[in-house]
Amino acid sequence: MAGVPSAQELSSLYDRTRAELDSPRPNHNSVKTQLSQLKVGLVKAALSNAQVELDPAFRLTKRSILEMGAEFSIKTGDIPAFERYIAQLETFYYESKHGLAESKVMYPLVGLNLLRMLSENQIADFHTTLERIDLAQLQSNPYIVHPVKLEQALMEGGYKKVWQARAEVPTPEYLFFMDILMATIRNEVASCVEKSYSSLPFADAKTVLFFTSMDELLKFAQEHQWSVSPSEKRITFPSTAENTRMFQGESIMKQTLTYARELERIV
Amino acid sequence: MSSTENAAMEVEATAEQKQAESHLARNVKFLERGIAAAEVHYTHRALRTIFSLRKRLQSDVLAEMIATHASKSNSQSVADCLQHAAESLGQKHVVGPATKVCEPEVCLFLCLLVQLYHLDHNEHERGAKLSDVLVGAALGLQRRTLDPIVSRVIFYYSRFFEVAGRLADARPMLLKALQTATLMNMKETKAMVLTLLLRNFLNYKLYDQAERLAAKSSFPTDAPNNLLARYLYYMGRIEAVQLNYSQAQMHLLEATRKAPSTPATAGFQQTVHKIYVIVELLMGNIPERSLFRTPVLKKPLQPYFELAQAVRVGDLSQFQDVVSRYQDQFLKDQVLILIQRLRHNVIKAGIRSISVAYSRISLRDICLKLHLDSEEDAEYIVAKAIRDGVIDATIDHEKGFVKSAEVHNVYGTSDPQHAFDKRITFCLGLYNESVKSMRYPGGDHRKELAYADEAIKRERELAQEIENEEYDSDSDAMDDAMDEDL
Repeated sequence: MAGVPSAQELSSLYDRTRAELDSPRPNHNSVKTQLSQLKVGLVKAALSNAQVELDPAFRLTKRSILEMGAEFSIKTGDIPAFERYIAQLETFYYESKHGLAESKVMYPLVGLNLLRMLSENQIADFHTTLERIDLAQLQSNPYIVHPVKLEQALMEGGYKKVWQARAEVPTPEYLFFMDILMATIRNEVASCVEKSYSSLPFADAKTVLFFTSMDELLKFAQEHQWSVSPSEKRITFPSTAENTRMFQGESIMKQTLTYARELERIV
Repeated sequence: MSSTENAAMEVEATAEQKQAESHLARNVKFLERGIAAAEVHYTHRALRTIFSLRKRLQSDVLAEMIATHASKSNSQSVADCLQHAAESLGQKHVVGPATKVCEPEVCLFLCLLVQLYHLDHNEHERGAKLSDVLVGAALGLQRRTLDPIVSRVIFYYSRFFEVAGRLADARPMLLKALQTATLMNMKETKAMVLTLLLRNFLNYKLYDQAERLAAKSSFPTDAPNNLLARYLYYMGRIEAVQLNYSQAQMHLLEATRKAPSTPATAGFQQTVHKIYVIVELLMGNIPERSLFRTPVLKKPLQPYFELAQAVRVGDLSQFQDVVSRYQDQFLKDQVLILIQRLRHNVIKAGIRSISVAYSRISLRDICLKLHLDSEEDAEYIVAKAIRDGVIDATIDHEKGFVKSAEVHNVYGTSDPQHAFDKRITFCLGLYNESVKSMRYPGGDHRKELAYADEAIKRERELAQEIENEEYDSDSDAMDDAMDEDL
């Protein structure tokens, strides 16, 4: 695009992209190119006229463009792009909302971001973001309540609840992150199971690990080096050796030397 | 009638005025002596008297002091400050006869008093405007002896904005102040600005920004204790939100120790202890009951006491009950979200007590006791607890029960060793710190020096006399005199 696009050009391009995205079978490549054009247009407009940022219409367009970008990146499964869009949207969502009315997709997007952090095990960021959300929304808004309940269930270890929560997602976009989350907690459950059971029959192992077929179970068992006995149809878990009785010579030496040095310093 | 009343009032006022004026004059003298000797403790002495002065400040007394000092000042910014101060008081600014040079320290001190006056009389707008001018001028002056006064000026600057609800606007000036303070090596100002910035961020719940600020900047280690206590408290709160519980506990404990234990600090102690109790609960330790019984903390910490009880017993329904009952209180203390995280600890405590009490218990019974939803839930939760090391047990899936492992001798492991190690390092650290902070009595030291000075002077005179005598021909009398001296 040559020259600086005006606000009307930007919003008309935005409307076209929106229509394309909402159509039954959107062409992802064309949407992608249009999005990048929009982004370049935003930057050019801001560079040419610093005051344009204060124009509410421009800000509304900018926010809508960013939100559309976030939705699109979920549809194509591009997680880093989703993170970038959300980071840019943060200024619009918290603190001063820049005088704009609350966006309809704000809470779904915030909820999606929370879920993304859960699936990547970034618990500290999860809690920091949680602090910034209004308390009333935390308790009533279904988009936010869902990730919060999930996090509590994960902390307690109620993985069955997580599995059941798959059916209760507020929007279909949540399913994308739920699948990633299931893979994460499958590993968690595996490590729990190793420590707590001495052996498990096949059928039980399948349900415990949320598998749907025997082959997946066997492959998983092989990856984790569990001993499988097809005759009895059981999986036996290796017992962890008791290392606590071993003499930890090095640490004891270090500690005693420190004591000696400090004691010598006492006048 | 009114005129005589007015006259009578004026006479009374002047008597008080005289007293206040004499106090102010004494403080000004302290400050000037401090500048002359380049020693900081004179400034501190003057600043300490502010507390008693605060109650007796009157606008006309202040205006008069300003007028006498505004006559001949070194720089334009100082004169500006004094002018603004006088205008904000609503008094006319009259430049008196040229008595003496007004040092910036004295000027800032007077303006600080004006700030206090505004704060006490709830004139926030005027105070905010004056503080703006003051901070700008103070940062421009860049004199190290201004350090303690500037730090207090900045504190009241931030306070005015906070009271007016415009705390975010104070941020740019605070950041600039941080830059200047670091460059000029003004330690007390730097400590104060860092603390104020953290408070600013926490007010708006910008925890990651606050954390980044704390990580990138270094808090001066020899800052006064009250600033250090506040800084540690803010650090503890940030770390508690970011799940860094062990660090948070350390910082909060230090904060309680550094803060002076006078009645004036009761509010601070209460706030710090509230967060400390919650961090302890989140770490899985139950705080001691004696903590809740100290008279200062007894009433404010009552909800937290009941919370600790619910966590200790491990009863989820009791926990929910306490949370819903005291919800407003927790909301006010901004800890509600931290308390939501305690649910997991309640269950953990419950599982632990069950595992200790029973050698074998069916999953169904666990489910009933902990008020869980289903047996499968209970199974998962117990498995996770085993993995986390909360309990030592095995699950038998077919028969559906949990079997606790036998309790082995704790002294056989290396746990006592680690516990002893921690305590020994703490005691050694305490010893080293107290050695470092030893002070020697200054008086004798100086007397010795004076004595040494005199001795050197006498010897020099003696040597000179000897030199002079050598040129003199008739030295018999002098020889006798010399022998006498020696």
